[in-house]
Amino acid sequence: MIESYSIVNFVFIHPKKVNCKNTRKANSSLLSLSFSLSLSLPINGLRGRSPPFPPPPTSAPSPIAPPSASRLRCSGRLLAMNAAASSALPLRCSPSPSAPRPHRLRLGILRVHRRAAAVARICPVGRGSEGLGAVVRSGALRRRVMAAAESRMGTGFVDKEEEEAVVAGGGVETSGMRSEGATVAGINKPMMSTVGRSTNIVWHECPVGKLERQKLLGQKGCVIWITGLSGSGKSTLACALSRELYCRGHLSYVLDGDNVRHGLNKDLSFKPEDRAENIRRIGEVAKLFADAGIICIASLISPYRQDRDACRAILPENAFIEVISSLHDAICNVFMDMPLEVCEARDAKGLYKLARAGKIKGFTGIDDLYEPPLDCEITIQQKDGVCPSPAAMAEQVVSYLESNGYFRA
Amino acid sequence: MSSVKMSTNIFWQDCPIGKLDRQKLLNQKGCVVWITGLSGSGKSTLACTLGRELHSRGKLSYILDGDNLRHGLNKDLGFKVEDRAENIRRVGEVAKLFSDAGLICIASLISPYRRDRESCRALLPDASFIEVFMNIPLEVCEARDAKGLYKLARAGKIKGFTGIDDPYEPPQNCEIQIELKDGVCPSPSDMAGQVVSYLEENGFLHE
Repeated sequence: MIESYSIVNFVFIHPKKVNCKNTRKANSSLLSLSFSLSLSLPINGLRGRSPPFPPPPTSAPSPIAPPSASRLRCSGRLLAMNAAASSALPLRCSPSPSAPRPHRLRLGILRVHRRAAAVARICPVGRGSEGLGAVVRSGALRRRVMAAAESRMGTGFVDKEEEEAVVAGGGVETSGMRSEGATVAGINKPMMSTVGRSTNIVWHECPVGKLERQKLLGQKGCVIWITGLSGSGKSTLACALSRELYCRGHLSYVLDGDNVRHGLNKDLSFKPEDRAENIRRIGEVAKLFADAGIICIASLISPYRQDRDACRAILPENAFIEVISSLHDAICNVFMDMPLEVCEARDAKGLYKLARAGKIKGFTGIDDLYEPPLDCEITIQQKDGVCPSPAAMAEQVVSYLESNGYFRA
Repeated sequence: MSSVKMSTNIFWQDCPIGKLDRQKLLNQKGCVVWITGLSGSGKSTLACTLGRELHSRGKLSYILDGDNLRHGLNKDLGFKVEDRAENIRRVGEVAKLFSDAGLICIASLISPYRRDRESCRALLPDASFIEVFMNIPLEVCEARDAKGLYKLARAGKIKGFTGIDDPYEPPQNCEIQIELKDGVCPSPSDMAGQVVSYLEENGFLHE
């Protein structure tokens, strides 16, 4: 079984500058370079859940690093470099507490560019791919390499900001390692995963992440999930809230259950399975919006506790969040605690009347149950038997967001 | 009150804050940049570079990558013809929501069938669907084989792989076409530059 690990640190022990006119000479002088490598083993039962273990952000440590990650140190030498397809280099690894038996690592290197030889260091390559690359430094050679890499004549990536030409791609594969978790790594040999029915998919990392977007917008993306009976004022609150946020210069977007059923979810009915799928899809979309930095206001009856909890679970557990390393994503459950009589008395859409007449079957509150949340962040209630105005309800939510730091990047 | 397909008794909810207000806030126009092409043609690379380029100009964009979405929203779908169609339909609907929110939504999927792409185009109003065709020949994509999939497909280990044993229908009138120049692939920044110029000329980068 082949597993892969994310690369934490890769350091050349004896960097060598090489003058290269001759490809063969260049490659052979690279060959005796030795290096040390330390890897992080995530061991937290992610098996089968794929998306990849993300590279830690450069500015801050990842707050959601798996609890029992351990390090594996190994050293080796570049023994062979092949300008053709992938070649694997055996490395020897010293035993570590997590892997008491000696084991093998293979460093795969793909397509070193013919002209690249003045290697300054092997570095983790971050943009659009993970893994290793060799950075070329010396003057004229670097320019040539950059030009060649830009014209895609080799596996290369040119990091204009760092002014570095990175020309070799590689990945680390291990075999024979005992591991409890699914893992990831390797550029140019990215880890394939299977999620549900989607086979052979790969997680694509991107340079502009959630934090950058939040900084651009001056707010933290989140999902405000408004649940309650039909006619309890969810859409009214959603609209009042989005107006209030807009006046304060914050970007929000309302995902109204009814509106989404006109588009994305138009293939779904109101049967329990379809309600569950409706909520699942809206949860996933809300997560995308939160990831984009938007304050996403989801307003739908969502009567079943299990479905709402499943959406809540998507946000912290899913690797989308993990990839962006944010702790501040949250679902605020706003419960519209309006008694059934009040909703029915309002009957804004005439639906309760139809439901009582038996013309609509499975209508929440009449002949389909509504399960109120056991533990939600905000509860909108009547005050002395009077419903709060839309503006007052919106104010309640906005205060919560403000005091919990959502209006800061 | 209306019934749309399976959803009965639903109402359209209007909101005081609309697309124009959000566009004013963001100083851009929401749109969808739909990047289509064979596996390995550079869609995700272009999407990322384009996202970075737009961000450096202070524009808010978001990438809907086909593979990434298949980890979440579309994880119940496979690669059969119907599933591909549903995958694209859902991505189109979500892209529409993002465009309505005022973002420049960059969708990066193989989306091989013309009919599915056209139905996504029909979802979006007034020219805010910008189709980008990665016109990179199969040989080049296969030579790259960044994910090792072509090899598996040639060996028969993956069935129905676009370009090998499933068709790719190129767009007939796309807004932007990325192609080889004198036999050489443009760099990611050149490709992104091409898209950004289009967005700029057509007024998407201001409200």
